[in-house]
Amino acid sequence: MEPTYHHGGVNFCWRLRTLFSEPKRFDVVAVRFAGSRVMLLKRVVAREDEQVEFRDGKLFINGKEIEEPYVRYPCNWNLPLRRVEKDCVYVVGDNRSMPIENHHFGQTSKSRLMGVPLW
Amino acid sequence: MVKIKYILIGVLIVILGILAAVIFFPNEEKRVKKQFNLLSEWVSRPPDENTFTLLQKMKNIGTLFDEHCELKAPDQSLSGSYRREEISTYAGSARSYFSQLDLKFYDFHIVFPEKEIAKVTLTARLTGRSTAGEQVDETRELECILKKIENQWLFVGIEIVEVLKKDQVPTEWVNLSYETY
Repeated sequence: MEPTYHHGGVNFCWRLRTLFSEPKRFDVVAVRFAGSRVMLLKRVVAREDEQVEFRDGKLFINGKEIEEPYVRYPCNWNLPLRRVEKDCVYVVGDNRSMPIENHHFGQTSKSRLMGVPLW
Repeated sequence: MVKIKYILIGVLIVILGILAAVIFFPNEEKRVKKQFNLLSEWVSRPPDENTFTLLQKMKNIGTLFDEHCELKAPDQSLSGSYRREEISTYAGSARSYFSQLDLKFYDFHIVFPEKEIAKVTLTARLTGRSTAGEQVDETRELECILKKIENQWLFVGIEIVEVLKKDQVPTEWVNLSYETY
């Protein structure tokens, strides 16, 4: 999530935010990656039933290019179109300077969202 | 006075009996966990491991698995059914890529959906250094199915949980289920 959040930093999360309301596009969320202790901070870019695609590093949702001011590093990702399934969101990190295969991102179940960082 | 003495002796015998039962007849959850501890011990590799220990561990790893074990991984090329001997061989060759390796398991969640079947969800962390000097630090959530065969809990299925799915999920994708076994 560089440069928005620094790797290995400490963040407090507001859990009720994802418990009682739907995540919105561009929300930063904590995703439960393994067990109850390993979390990843990611940004929601698409919600259920939306179509996600990357073309030359640009994000397209339902065929429309989306401005992403939080992405500061150059990115050349290409990812074919895919539809987000029911009860899922599509999350991506802000740091996309690495090759696409080295980045943890993709569709995840809403039940894995553990909250949003407080600041 | 004599009566109290006998009562105390009786209580002591009961306590000793309970302790012996706990120590010598561990519950099934503990027995399942023990298999993970053994897997962790045998997969891990200290920097100064000798060839004899290496071969012994390779052989031992296979004993934790059933004749056939199903692996499901996000990388489809790794998924499939493996024989016990294949697991030993692959584990041995995978270990040889590392000069030092440490496998640890955390956050155990054990359920017994059926008699003699255990479903375990846990966190696995693999740390170490490759022979090329590259640092490795990988954490994943695993779902494992173990079956009690001849009074031993053996791995029959391991799934690496794909929390973030980059690719479209194929329609034929079926969750690893204890019902398969």
